[in-house]
Amino acid sequence: MNFTYPKTVSEAFSAAFKMFGENYRAANVWRLSVAALAATLAFVFYKLLTEGHATFNTGSDGITWGLLVVVYAFFVLTSTGLTFVASMAMVFGFKEFYPIAKRCIWVAVLTLLAGFAALALELGHPFRMLWAVPLGVQTHSPMFWMGVFYSAYLVFLLLKFQKVSGGDWTSGTSKALGIISFGTVVIAHGMLGGLFGAIAIRPMWFGPLIPVYFLLTAALSGAAFAIMITYLTYGGEQAMPDKVRSLMRGAMPKAFAAVLGIVLVATLSRTGIGLWSNIDGLQVWGHVVHTSWFWIEMALMFGAFAMLLMGGGALFPALMVIAALFIGRYEFVIGGQMVPLFKGTWVPGLIEYAPSMTEWMIVVMSFAIVFAGWAFGERTLNLGASPQD
Amino acid sequence: MAKWGMVIDLEKCVGCQACTVACGMENNRLPGEMWQDVIFYSEGTYPSAQLKWFPRPCQHCEHPSCMAVCPTGATYKTEDGVVLIDWDKCIGCKYCMIACPYGVRFYTDEKPLVAPDMRKVHESHDEHSWNPPWKMPDAREDWKHGVGIQPHDVVSKCTFCYHRISKAPKGTPDLDPQDPKLREFTPACVVTCAPGARFFGDLSNPESVVSRLIGDKRGVRLLDELGNKPQVYYVTGDGGAVPSTRAFNKKS
Ligand code: SF4
Ligand code: SF4
Ligand code: SF4
Repeated sequence: MNFTYPKTVSEAFSAAFKMFGENYRAANVWRLSVAALAATLAFVFYKLLTEGHATFNTGSDGITWGLLVVVYAFFVLTSTGLTFVASMAMVFGFKEFYPIAKRCIWVAVLTLLAGFAALALELGHPFRMLWAVPLGVQTHSPMFWMGVFYSAYLVFLLLKFQKVSGGDWTSGTSKALGIISFGTVVIAHGMLGGLFGAIAIRPMWFGPLIPVYFLLTAALSGAAFAIMITYLTYGGEQAMPDKVRSLMRGAMPKAFAAVLGIVLVATLSRTGIGLWSNIDGLQVWGHVVHTSWFWIEMALMFGAFAMLLMGGGALFPALMVIAALFIGRYEFVIGGQMVPLFKGTWVPGLIEYAPSMTEWMIVVMSFAIVFAGWAFGERTLNLGASPQD
Repeated sequence: MAKWGMVIDLEKCVGCQACTVACGMENNRLPGEMWQDVIFYSEGTYPSAQLKWFPRPCQHCEHPSCMAVCPTGATYKTEDGVVLIDWDKCIGCKYCMIACPYGVRFYTDEKPLVAPDMRKVHESHDEHSWNPPWKMPDAREDWKHGVGIQPHDVVSKCTFCYHRISKAPKGTPDLDPQDPKLREFTPACVVTCAPGARFFGDLSNPESVVSRLIGDKRGVRLLDELGNKPQVYYVTGDGGAVPSTRAFNKKS
């Protein structure tokens, strides 16, 4: 679609409003995702207002951090990865990535907001967080630093997007903002990795290389989202502009396959070591490999890898990897808590947990935020712009 | 300044859970929200299997990992060595529950651990999370030190009965419940313990009973290899043992 892009905020809103009655891909996605967002928000707020946080299936005798922390990790790491993809062009000078760079920055903003939204609903006091964390200045807490760096990252990302939207891709400030965003998110995701990796009593999480593992899986997640969103934008390879098509047939699937290969090795080595070692807490790996989800995850990742090697399109591998990564994040966050601490006789075995309806609705809500935001951007923000134009 | 600590004699502990009940009553805990609990577990297999038990309050660690991870400073350590939570600062992120190796922390708002849900039976109409008929006097409640009935969406745990011990005369080496003058300053679980298995005193005073017990009866700490360095010590003798692993039933 070729749109006339609005110049002012009010024009943008009226264009978005008109989209409800229009009929093209972005408008259809817009309708669907805004409806999903409204429905899930209504459900979730009704539940939270009537039951409070007891509407989640997390508990002090069980899983403390539930599905919402999974969603948070999934989306903020995807945002991290999308910034890596955009940085290929904007920081590292691989010019062939320019045609998708602006869209990647926009979706990085959206996935970050989707992750924050899930976390805000999970926190006991999200508004208190806004002053208690900055004023607390607890420099020894990885969570404090994660907050600082992910907030700074959001600001830099928005500034960079504003520059790029004004057509300024290459000025000193614009370049600096790209580099700073990249640097900030590398540190921010490292803090998220540290948040888990520093917890020595939960050996499934523990280790100095967890930030590196997050870096790899974040890059994979970002690449998969970049591919998915590009296909969603154009509807298929035929409709893509030449430069986008050659990226989607050339550098992108190659880079994607390379990262996927490394993640496969990392995942297998984590699993193997986890199964072999006998420190208390790692028993959970024995459980993980007996779930069908683990084998679905493996099949999706190996299948995607094989498809990429055979040189088919990148869309299906990307979708498969997104599903596999979601399962992987779930295994990671929940699995790390399944072996009970000194909790008393009422938890004799592994802790059982199944997310509640409200928790699942928040997953839908987070995806709806991303898709609605993408459709809005597609219609109003000229996401396909690149410096060659 | 005192450095408060507890010694639990496992040779004397009979696993009666009186401490657990006393703590629940003293501190208005929701049923199931056991700041103090006795954990039962089995060791060995037939014919030499043994049933064991292990009383477990918050360990008030010298290096508390709960405090290290708290992003707001809501969890803190007092000068006299007690780890507390400021309920006005806690954002309910539950990172402390993730980081504490001993599983002693509880979040307020979750599915009830025991039915019926007492928060519904004794509903609160103010900021308190519930309103039981047997609560401590309002004057004792102290949210800055995590004492009393907590508000919604925060984390709570054993305070070493801070509302009692902080009123003890300065320089007291031991809060001995047998001494009528000290009884009201002694933690509720220590007061109630029928076989006298719990001792509370100043670990920094070499003359205190707790210091002597640790020295004479070789006091040990739970999961000492972790570096949290609990201020709760266990003495074992012939009758008991400190579990070296978590309470997880491994199928052999
Ligand atoms: S036992 Fe847990 S909650 Fe208590 S001080 Fe130690 S780390 Fe903190
Ligand atoms: S839940 Fe409260 S006390 Fe625990 S780490 Fe978070 S802010 Fe600190
Ligand atoms: S010291 Fe007080 S708060 Fe701690 S377990 Fe004993 S009775 Fe409960």
